[in-house]
Amino acid sequence: MTPLRPPSLLDRRLVIVTGKGGTGKTTVAAALAVAAAGAGRRVLLAEVGRDEQIPSRFAPGSPPAGYAGREVHPGVTAMRIDPFEALGEYLALQLGMSAPVGLVLRNRAFRQLMEAAPGWRELITLGKIWHLEQMQTSPARPRWDLIVVDAPATGHGVSFLSAPRVVVSALRAGPLRRHAAQVEALVEDPVRTALLPVALAEELPVRETEELVRNARNEVGISVDRVVVNAMLPRPFPPGLEDLDERLRRLPEGAPLGALPPASVLAACAGHLRARWDLHERWARTLAESIGLPCVRLPYLAEGVEGPASLAALGAALLAGSPSEAA
Amino acid sequence: MSASKFARACLLRPRIAVCVGSGGVGKTTVAAALALEAARSGRRALVLTIDPARRLADALGVAALGNQPEELPRAALAALGVPPQGGLSAMMLDMKRTFDDLVDRFADSPETRARILANPIYQHVSEALAGSVEYSAMEKVYELDAQRAYDLIVVDTPPSQHALDFLEAPQRLVEFLDSRIVHMLIHPAFVAGRLGFRLFQRGARRVLQILERVSGIGFLEDVSEFLLAFEGMSEGFRQRANGVRALLLGPETAFVLVAGAGRDSVQQALELRQRLAGFGASLTGVLVNRVRIWPGGGPPPDLAGAEGSLGALAAALAASEGAGFPAQAAAKAALGAAAGYAAFVRRDARETAALRSAVEKQGGYWGAIPELSGDVHDLAGLAQVARAIFGSQADPGKEALHAG
Repeated sequence: MTPLRPPSLLDRRLVIVTGKGGTGKTTVAAALAVAAAGAGRRVLLAEVGRDEQIPSRFAPGSPPAGYAGREVHPGVTAMRIDPFEALGEYLALQLGMSAPVGLVLRNRAFRQLMEAAPGWRELITLGKIWHLEQMQTSPARPRWDLIVVDAPATGHGVSFLSAPRVVVSALRAGPLRRHAAQVEALVEDPVRTALLPVALAEELPVRETEELVRNARNEVGISVDRVVVNAMLPRPFPPGLEDLDERLRRLPEGAPLGALPPASVLAACAGHLRARWDLHERWARTLAESIGLPCVRLPYLAEGVEGPASLAALGAALLAGSPSEAA
Repeated sequence: MSASKFARACLLRPRIAVCVGSGGVGKTTVAAALALEAARSGRRALVLTIDPARRLADALGVAALGNQPEELPRAALAALGVPPQGGLSAMMLDMKRTFDDLVDRFADSPETRARILANPIYQHVSEALAGSVEYSAMEKVYELDAQRAYDLIVVDTPPSQHALDFLEAPQRLVEFLDSRIVHMLIHPAFVAGRLGFRLFQRGARRVLQILERVSGIGFLEDVSEFLLAFEGMSEGFRQRANGVRALLLGPETAFVLVAGAGRDSVQQALELRQRLAGFGASLTGVLVNRVRIWPGGGPPPDLAGAEGSLGALAAALAASEGAGFPAQAAAKAALGAAAGYAAFVRRDARETAALRSAVEKQGGYWGAIPELSGDVHDLAGLAQVARAIFGSQADPGKEALHAG
């Protein structure tokens, strides 16, 4: 099955980027934000982890953006959604509590108590995202055209998103149910929202991504219309020379090659590149077949991705990404 | 001391080796390879994993791993050079089960035990108090170590952003149980006190009540119930936690840091190293996994002037492949591949240089495990990783590059 090309990510209001640790999820989220800003969108780039990572992707050593947020690139505002700050804001805004809330939420023991309570962090974080999505500068003009969320590493990825659904099904009435239902509607709206999983073309990340996509469909009902396969190695040899490493291995050892390394070293280098490339191709194909979705391939960048220029290049590749390379 | 002897001294000498590192670096594989190497040197080794994926079970060739050590078939081990006195067992930690066992041990009555296990807050508390999950792994290690059935226990810790939470978890849990808010919730009537605290108390109760009202969950009641039941266990738990901590920070335990060669991974490893030092834990070795190494070792040669020799390579290829083979294009592609791979090798060396010099300056072991051509999914693959760490007759770098 050759899946059709999905609609542009730029036409969504909310893109939630998720993936196993080490797949480059944060970099992909930042690259998407830069590309969207380049296309004229006002972008909010929100992360939810304990340690803020995004500002330093734009400029090494830059200070955290925090809950208030800070513009890290023209058109891109970064922020970190802290669940306790969001809880304080929610309680103050929605329930008319003010003075004691701050005192209570800053207390270490109370925080520990809240750490023991299930589900509220995910719910309040998604609630804050919903609130940000609803913000308007003038009637009919949203404050943020696109919100890109760097979600927690998978494992927590889907339970993070299912919190509103769980609350809605558990409660019969009340303000919390009403609010959770609004959040659920945003998460499950395929026009406004998409989940963007980031994988590597290796066994473990591919297996995890398959499970993530399955759970996203069955347990959350969020739209997933493509998957990013990050850090793909380039084809090592030109067409017609696919078995170059084997040919090099057949050269007699000690063949005079001038300033070149010995034939066995040339063969080893070529063999290694080919083996890793084969592995990438095999797992990228396995993933595409098992989930039946387009896989956008992003190149392996040996020098890493740091700073707006390299993020922009990666973002352009992400938006232009073809579903799969011609074999 | 030779490099492989030094590796053995740093990585395998103590009774317990704790592998730490961020997610996705191959920690489980490295832990299993360390245990296999210990078995090969005639010791009874156990690898304890927390990875729920079936990969380790598959790689070790056992049907399934459970909460009890599973001994690997002797024939398979003998084929890899494990002598009769050596042995290798593996188990997968069931963290919920381990925590339940802990409640079992310290509950003062069967009623208390039943109340705790049935409490909805209990279902979450082991996970939610950050590090408790990791702590339960260490609890199991403590128990297994006390039995002295193994010469070496290799622990594969959970991948987490805060991989060292388990060192703090016991203290945090005890602190939490002792904290004023807990007493206030359990015995509100006994709380006398200062105005600030009363104000706080009112605020906390109000926040909780509102959470209850909007959520419809008996949150306050469940928490009080749980804490009340747990209260009697506090002392036993505290003593046990101190024992676990002493074992982890004592001379029997070595921490082995596993990292990847990427920039983020190296950065996280440097931070983890700092934090381990802060705890007073003994970090004896750092293994960087999946490093690209030049065939035969050493730095890659400068290939800038090699263009001029393409004619010689093309001639050699034409001679061995015969007419009709595009020898010119092949020679060019071969040089391109060598130059491309050389760039990868230099990059990995550059990215890991700071970590390497920091470790070596402190007299710790630093090892690079070459990137293998394929995935590790059987005992032979684990043996290959072990050889790459501890060396063998064959050059590990060369062997890895020709494998697959």
